Amino acid sequence: MLLLSSVTKRYGDVTALDRLSVTVPDDTYVSLLGASGSGKTTLLRVIAGFEEPDSGVVTYDGRRLDGIAPHRRGIGFVFQNFALFPHLSVGDNIAFGLRYREENPLTDTAEMRQRVADVIRLVGLEGLETRKVTAISGGQRQRVALARTLVTEPRVVLLDEPLGALDANLRERMCDELRSIRERLKVTFLHVTGSETEALLMGDTVAVLSAGSIAQIAPASSLFSAPHSADVARHLNAYNILSGKADGGRFLSDCARFVMPGHPAVQDGTPIEVALRFDRIFVGSADAGEAPEASISARFIASEFNGSSVLSFFRAEDGTLLQVVAHLSGPPPESFEEGALYNLAFNPQDIIPFIKRAA
Amino acid sequence: MEARVLKPILGVYCAAFILFLYGPMIILAILSFQGAGGGPQFPIIEWSTYWYQHLLGMTPPSRISRLPIGDSLLRSLTLAMMTTVVSTTLGVITAQGFRTRFKASGAVFYLVILGMIVPGVLVGLGMALLSNMLGIDRSWWGTAFVLHVVYTFPFAFLVMLAIFNRFDRSVEEASLSLGVSPVQTFRRVTFPMIFPGVLSAMLFSFTLSYDEFSRTLFTSGRELTLPLTIYGTFSVEIYPNIFAFGVLTTLFSFTLLLVYALLMLRAVRAGRSFKGQEEAV
Amino acid sequence: MEFAGEQMQSAAQAQGGQNGVSPAEHRARQERRNALMLISPGVVWMALFMVLPMVMVIYVSFWTQTTFTVEPTLTTDSWVRFLTSSTYLASAWTTVRIWAIVLAATLVIGYPVALFIGLMVRNQTLQTALLVICIIPFWTSFLIRVIAWRPMLGTEGAINMILMKLGIVDTPLTTLLFSELAVLIGMTQIYCVFMVGPITFMLSRIDPSVIEAARDLGAGFGRIFFKIILPLSLPGVIVGAIFVSVMVLGEFATAASLSGRKVNLLGNIIVSQVGSLKWAFASVAGVILTIIIAAVITVLLRVVNLRKET
Repeated sequence: MLLLSSVTKRYGDVTALDRLSVTVPDDTYVSLLGASGSGKTTLLRVIAGFEEPDSGVVTYDGRRLDGIAPHRRGIGFVFQNFALFPHLSVGDNIAFGLRYREENPLTDTAEMRQRVADVIRLVGLEGLETRKVTAISGGQRQRVALARTLVTEPRVVLLDEPLGALDANLRERMCDELRSIRERLKVTFLHVTGSETEALLMGDTVAVLSAGSIAQIAPASSLFSAPHSADVARHLNAYNILSGKADGGRFLSDCARFVMPGHPAVQDGTPIEVALRFDRIFVGSADAGEAPEASISARFIASEFNGSSVLSFFRAEDGTLLQVVAHLSGPPPESFEEGALYNLAFNPQDIIPFIKRAA
Repeated sequence: MEARVLKPILGVYCAAFILFLYGPMIILAILSFQGAGGGPQFPIIEWSTYWYQHLLGMTPPSRISRLPIGDSLLRSLTLAMMTTVVSTTLGVITAQGFRTRFKASGAVFYLVILGMIVPGVLVGLGMALLSNMLGIDRSWWGTAFVLHVVYTFPFAFLVMLAIFNRFDRSVEEASLSLGVSPVQTFRRVTFPMIFPGVLSAMLFSFTLSYDEFSRTLFTSGRELTLPLTIYGTFSVEIYPNIFAFGVLTTLFSFTLLLVYALLMLRAVRAGRSFKGQEEAV
Repeated sequence: MEFAGEQMQSAAQAQGGQNGVSPAEHRARQERRNALMLISPGVVWMALFMVLPMVMVIYVSFWTQTTFTVEPTLTTDSWVRFLTSSTYLASAWTTVRIWAIVLAATLVIGYPVALFIGLMVRNQTLQTALLVICIIPFWTSFLIRVIAWRPMLGTEGAINMILMKLGIVDTPLTTLLFSELAVLIGMTQIYCVFMVGPITFMLSRIDPSVIEAARDLGAGFGRIFFKIILPLSLPGVIVGAIFVSVMVLGEFATAASLSGRKVNLLGNIIVSQVGSLKWAFASVAGVILTIIIAAVITVLLRVVNLRKET
């Protein structure tokens, strides 16, 4: 079990990690979601030992890791740019760790050949052992980077945006493979990404990193359906966030006013943010009689079609941008007229309210 | 409009400049083929390779003594090789040390760079005084050698510093994360990748040391290096044999340069070291 | 070897906590210590074989000179002798004069070349080729390049021959070789490239669109040159000037070969004094040379703050 408690790391005036604490259980796939600049790469580098925290403690199974040299931590690292050894062949890249590691290097050539062959089969690189790493494709390099790490049997593998350098097709295939490889080896993967789809798809557990600390860590499905803060909801890229204040159990803003579910006991005037899922909004005509119980009137801006769904953008009178997703499995969405006013209706029970913290 | 006039004028000027740079060497090369009875100037009384033979001791003895280049050439080559090994090693480890930030780095940087700035005649004098005081015999492989390193080490250091500046650290980190110690990482990853730079540092050190004489003048003792042998002819009358020597030593340098170019080509082809990670974002 | 001391890390780390030093801080210290260990051989080498000899020169300049030896009894005799001798003061003056003329000559001759290569030639390959052509002569021995001027400048040399053939002169010029002029020509040719290189580098970094824009605004070449090109190339000029200055001021071989003993630089004084075992006196000349070089570099660095420029 990898444990970080109250880890802080500063670069000059910038605080990359701010009293971050997190527990990474054994034998799980944890994805770490964060925007660029949220400190996610720093977090990995601190765990791997390429950087040391200014304060805080990193332990693995009770043994303190911070202060130990990176090569004695037993933690694997897959780099975003793969960082292969350019002067070695695919086979030598993979055998590198076994051959030269400080602790218990492998000298038996037969066993070496066996283990390299095994991991090559595992990642699907058969037949490329003697190739130069400069003479293989991006996806193959990714596999070499992974194989090179896995063959040394680290307890935890840190993956820094491992799919970032791959094209979309390859990315999807690698996603499945990463998951199945991990399940077979029963090690812990800590996968950092800036893409919410990737994070939710890959992780058994998803952690959201925001402003240098963990905003929420939860199983993928519960994180998605019940974010703990507006900030987490924003990271999921599936929620509209409205800002307003409480007013007698209702949410009140310049563009909307509706009853909040569960009538949270807050004082009137308390700043409130609510999250409203893109796919829980129904678009109706503005002049279709009386407006439903909870709705916002907004002007249509544009639509994006992306395969299984249509994403439409609306702007409310006060300037708030709202996104609506219509799944194509449902009734065919009507086409909207640009600049025209529509009624965006929703069930108040779908609203997730948060008390806004002072910045 | 003025640029249109200026460009051809500057082009012609540039050509004249190149002639200025090469003129003396061309004349020297032509005169090296002077006949046996001719002097170190025009006219060429007869085209011959007499002075080349004279230089190599293949002519019957004449009143003009042979240039004593045999032993001094050997000394100069040995000295240059010793200097190359030591200054390149120092350059590599010092530059490696500079990759970690430390307080006195500015001062250390200038201390090293000073080695290429201080005139040779001054450090040469100082080293001669020092060896006099300590009662150490001056020799090309001792007092002169350490000064050659003082001179060439800064060049090797600067070359390596430039190489490390654009070195992708993540490759070393990858090695560490595989459990490989820093020493092994340097040996198995860093060094093979910086090898083209090391070759450049070696070439710099070798050619600078091979040609160096102001630092050697006071410090080499009785046994002369090649540049000192040439310097010895300055005060006496010169003959075309020194021209022939000039041509040969230039050819030797070009051979060296060619070997370097070939090695470099091989190293770059084998490693493609700095372009291996082109997918980095 | 480079990373020695690492082995002790784990043991020391255990104590780290007790001393109130975090493991991370301990490791940072360890890494700094390793770095210092890596740089120490170079530093020690420079201290022993460069700084110490230079200190020796200063020290011995105050020793007592006897006919064939020096004794470590401190005196200012050698200094007094140097500073009251018109011959030696003249050589200091000659050194400064030759330096100034050669510096000016390399700048005046080299700048247009740099202007052509760096600014006018926009083809990368041609640019590199021209620079390589300028650098190739450096693979010839320095002393050979000095000697090569003898058959050029002599009374029966190539230049006189051409001048006579063209009917410009009737009798060969005798002032070409074994004169101050010969030294100036030789040094200018040998050191000019050190001026051309850095200026070319700075000029080639100028964005052509800047000049284009100035031209569109109606600026003539003179104005563009003095307002844009010259200021931007100034750091290159200073770097080139430092190269040339350091080398010319420490020179003695060119003067020894081409001046026929008519030009005596401080370098030549040092060589001849060492030849006659006048160590203390040579040291005085050495210290004065050091002072001149330090002063020149200081002045040049004042003109442009190089650290800020690059």
